[in-house]
Amino acid sequence: MDNRNLLLAVVLSGLLILGWDAAMRYFYPEAAVTAPAEAPASPAAKPAGAAAATAPSGDLGNEAQGQRKVDLKAALASPNRIAIDTPRIAGSINLVGARIDDIVLKDYRETVKKDSGPVRLLAPEGTPGQYFAEFGFITGGVRQPANALWQADGTRLTPETPVTLTRTDAAGITYRVRLAVDKDYMITATQSAGNGGAAAAIIQPFALIKRTSANASIDQFVTHSGPVGVFGGTLWDPHSYAELAEIGAERPAGDPAWLGFVDQYWLVALVPGGGRTAPKVAEAGFRALGGDLFRADLLYNAVTLPPGGTSETQTRLYAGAKESATLDRYEDSGITYFGKAISWGWFEILEKPILWLLLSLNSLVGNFGVAIILLTVIIRAAVFPIAQKGFASMAAMKAIQPRMQELQERFKDDKPRLQQEMMKLYKDEGVNPLSGCLPMLIQIPVFFALYKVLVLAIEMRHQPFFGWIRDLSAPDPAHILNLFGLLPYDVPGFLAIGPLALLLGITMWLTFKLNPAAVDPVQQQMFAIMPWVLMFVMAPFAAGLLLYWVTSNILTLAQQSYLYSRHPQLKAANAAAAAKGGGKAGR
Amino acid sequence: MKQLLILIARAWQLGPSRLLPPSCRYTPSCSQYAIEAITRHGALRGGWMALKRLMRCHPWGGHGHDPVP
Repeated sequence: MDNRNLLLAVVLSGLLILGWDAAMRYFYPEAAVTAPAEAPASPAAKPAGAAAATAPSGDLGNEAQGQRKVDLKAALASPNRIAIDTPRIAGSINLVGARIDDIVLKDYRETVKKDSGPVRLLAPEGTPGQYFAEFGFITGGVRQPANALWQADGTRLTPETPVTLTRTDAAGITYRVRLAVDKDYMITATQSAGNGGAAAAIIQPFALIKRTSANASIDQFVTHSGPVGVFGGTLWDPHSYAELAEIGAERPAGDPAWLGFVDQYWLVALVPGGGRTAPKVAEAGFRALGGDLFRADLLYNAVTLPPGGTSETQTRLYAGAKESATLDRYEDSGITYFGKAISWGWFEILEKPILWLLLSLNSLVGNFGVAIILLTVIIRAAVFPIAQKGFASMAAMKAIQPRMQELQERFKDDKPRLQQEMMKLYKDEGVNPLSGCLPMLIQIPVFFALYKVLVLAIEMRHQPFFGWIRDLSAPDPAHILNLFGLLPYDVPGFLAIGPLALLLGITMWLTFKLNPAAVDPVQQQMFAIMPWVLMFVMAPFAAGLLLYWVTSNILTLAQQSYLYSRHPQLKAANAAAAAKGGGKAGR
Repeated sequence: MKQLLILIARAWQLGPSRLLPPSCRYTPSCSQYAIEAITRHGALRGGWMALKRLMRCHPWGGHGHDPVP
């Protein structure tokens, strides 16, 4: 009984979560979640034809100019570049426009192949995967040209050697952007302006992130992809790229703690301030620029610089992987809710310990798949007493069965009275076959949290299990319908059933079979169909998730067999009930 | 507030509760209890009573007839 409740709790919450996800995958099949940097830009990305109206004073404007296509290799080969090299990232600074538009993550490979290059997070404007950050100035209401060439005082940006970019405009104002990088993913940009001219100047420093959504991961119910930030002390992440494109622009209320874009595994974000005094932010928000292009803007208040005056603002740029520990470290250093760049959601308090346990197990056994299996065993062991208690109650019920039948005889024409007498009998004997709703209400969040951890954990990316499964965060690569690749055709998406999914269907069908037959015919039918429906629904999901689910089913089977062996009379009764009227009879 | 809490209980009754196997150890059921308690005693006190009822609705808790006081 209890076990079925548990299963149903899992299945129902699962269906709710996965149904949405499956629908998203069905409608957007082309965007592979695991390879955000590989998808080519949509060829339909037409140049935004809107008139390039002059931006109003103190605004970054819409940048509605035509898109020019640029080759990645050619762009990176330009001589106007300063190399970035740290323990975890590599790339370069573009001296044209003071942009950071070339960053690869050394610790993460593009694909599961050993010789595939590192993941490219940032790429120059105009390339298929364009995604970059720019630091600039608006002077007297006019944005400094984005194609201006800056001078650098160094040749390499490393954690030990910061680089300062310098440029002086016609009016004699000298702009500086000092770039420093730490050993993880944070680049600190100190923008300063010195007025060497004869007249006062109004200067507004800004920072922006611009990207294409063509290579973004899918915005899912359990993990957000798109514009994100913390404004006024609350996480702001309601929109996908498509929704932002519809709205056009959004400026969330409240002071920004950080803002940027997230993918399933990556984050690029701007953090205002970090210097001695927190600079005043004039405008922070997101904008859709048309043609799959989006921008996060961070515009500081204007300062009036008299001749000889200087001003300075600091902005940090995070460009890296969403590792929970790394993000939390930055959060501890004072960036509000930086750790929430990972879509923990409501059950963070459950998910963090589960993630911690999973990572500890992984470092203990050295195989992420085995760690998932062990984690499942531990969590199932924790809820085992509930199932055991349910079985004990069912056994006790059997003992009072004769008196129950007597009651049923006596009050068969008086249903309410029968109900009352039955309750009284339960009370007198101190038994109740039903487990109540609390166990279910508690278990739903736990299993949901476990599911979310498996989706959110970047640590699972490219982790092998055994044999053919070389990436637990990707769908099972083997397909039954083309005989594991022996037949030369690609299996259409929804028929791509791997061995793990088949195992899932079979084990689930077995668990339902072992359970007492349902009374309600509708429920019976549901039990008959559900394993096979879920087999198809779950097949495109990460192999690690399926592994968890299959393990969970096998444990359910083991638990049922064990409990039935402890209470043999229940098994006999259950079998009898199943035999009578095709399992329609109740217990 | 009162209406909202009752709506949640009603949604549970019409949605998940229909699909799940019967699990009530008590009469009335937790959701019915919650609706009655909130109607009779208000959102705060009734809500608290409903929560307490939920907390004893598990295999080690009580069972049987347990109406709203």
